Amino acid sequence: MDFLVKFASAFMGVFQLGGQQFMGWVTGIIPTILMLLIMMNAVIALIGDERIEVVAKVCTSNPILRYAVLPWISAFMLGNPMALSMGKFMPEFYKPSYYAAASYHCHTNSGIFPHINPSEILIYLGIAQGVTALGLDATPLALRYMLVGFVANFISGWATDFTTAFVQKQQGIQLSKELKTH
Amino acid sequence: MAEYRAIRVEKGSGGFGGPLTIQGTEQKNKVMYITGGGVAPEILDKIVELSGLEPVNGFKTSCPEDQLALVIIDCGGTLRCGLYPKKRIPTININPVGKAGPLAQYIKEDIYVSGVTNATIALADGSAAPVEAAPVEEAAPAPEKKGGIDTSKKLSEQMAENGKGNALAKIGLGAGKVVATFNQAARDAVQTCITTLLPFMGFVSLLIGIINGTGFGNFFSTLLQPLLGNFVGLLILGIVCSIPGLSAILGPGAVISQILGGIMGAEIAAGRISPTLALVGLFALNCHAACDFIPVGLGLAEAETETVEVGVVSVMYSRFITSWVRVLIAFVASIGLYAAA
Repeated sequence: MDFLVKFASAFMGVFQLGGQQFMGWVTGIIPTILMLLIMMNAVIALIGDERIEVVAKVCTSNPILRYAVLPWISAFMLGNPMALSMGKFMPEFYKPSYYAAASYHCHTNSGIFPHINPSEILIYLGIAQGVTALGLDATPLALRYMLVGFVANFISGWATDFTTAFVQKQQGIQLSKELKTH
Repeated sequence: MAEYRAIRVEKGSGGFGGPLTIQGTEQKNKVMYITGGGVAPEILDKIVELSGLEPVNGFKTSCPEDQLALVIIDCGGTLRCGLYPKKRIPTININPVGKAGPLAQYIKEDIYVSGVTNATIALADGSAAPVEAAPVEEAAPAPEKKGGIDTSKKLSEQMAENGKGNALAKIGLGAGKVVATFNQAARDAVQTCITTLLPFMGFVSLLIGIINGTGFGNFFSTLLQPLLGNFVGLLILGIVCSIPGLSAILGPGAVISQILGGIMGAEIAAGRISPTLALVGLFALNCHAACDFIPVGLGLAEAETETVEVGVVSVMYSRFITSWVRVLIAFVASIGLYAAA
């Protein structure tokens, strides 16, 4: 009997602990995220996609614009995964590289701008929550996440130019470096 | 009789639904607008000009539903936006409002399009707009005077009477649009919370409950401690996770990364892992980001088949090659982060 009681209370304990964790996240995370999401959704809708496309066309000319500036702006304005669609303004050869950079940008910027990737935000929030639990401010973490990301994502994007050239040779395919005019 | 041409209406910025193709017929030859208290919307001119439909002001008069080819509304998401889709009458909402209101379930892509502006309206066959003179000729000789609409006057004159040029009306419409946009933004945001955030939080919370409640946590953290608890371990984790092929398996929904993030956070909170490692952790746990998504992502960028073939392999290689660089940069950039703690 004693064993049964112990087992039952341990069983319930699992769900109580889970519930506490859930409540902590819901009250600690959801309200702020919700406000940010609303604001960003509205700002993006008011600015409009057409203006972003204008910027995108300008940005295809050099690596820094291509793999740092454009994906950053796209991630901020369009979020995951629509930011990846801005790759359509690239010549075919650069599309994988843009993807490599932009998909990272959808993560590294999400500490400060959670609207970019709300469904995968727990990577950041999980760790940030731990930092907050120690009584520390998570803002420096979010800021460094973004700034380091800016540099690292550029490197990751640019490096893909070389791997693409390599894979091209491997597969015997030649991708165009010229922008197709429609 | 007027000649009716098919027009194609696409959703505008932040909009929903569509594209709709609207083709007027002898019977269905009216476009009713119920906007801004009877002020004609900007897009009305173009729709009438392109399609040859006859405009009807829904605030001044009504029109039998079987004559309606199209309805234009500026509903902020309360009722009207679902009313006509429910009756299966093609509906244009000039506000960027999606499925909303009590009739949200009737708002579907094949009958409703929102956020529409002049730029998103075109002839269905893709040809250029007809010359300016054409619509006037078509509108003028319309034979019957149905529903109290004055067909003897030019559209522009009617609009002047309707108060389109009225500054106050313009401000009202502008404010209405901003409010509607924010309202829709809130709706989307709450939807995101409900459909993606809360379920995931619930799922991971249960996992954490099981991990902590069963004593498995102590076992698990001693297992992962060597990896999550120091720089070299995180570096190894980052490189291993980004091995081409493995990276694609670990990718979906970033589930693995999010669970590890949650665990690492719990360990930091418990004081078993230094908060200085938080930044390194963020990069190490996510070296394989989006490796599962490459074909779809390249598809979004309208890449050709060859590009996708090369790109999938290329991005996985570059993830692998740069993973250690990213963790290393994060390590260097962590200098001074929460150093006092």
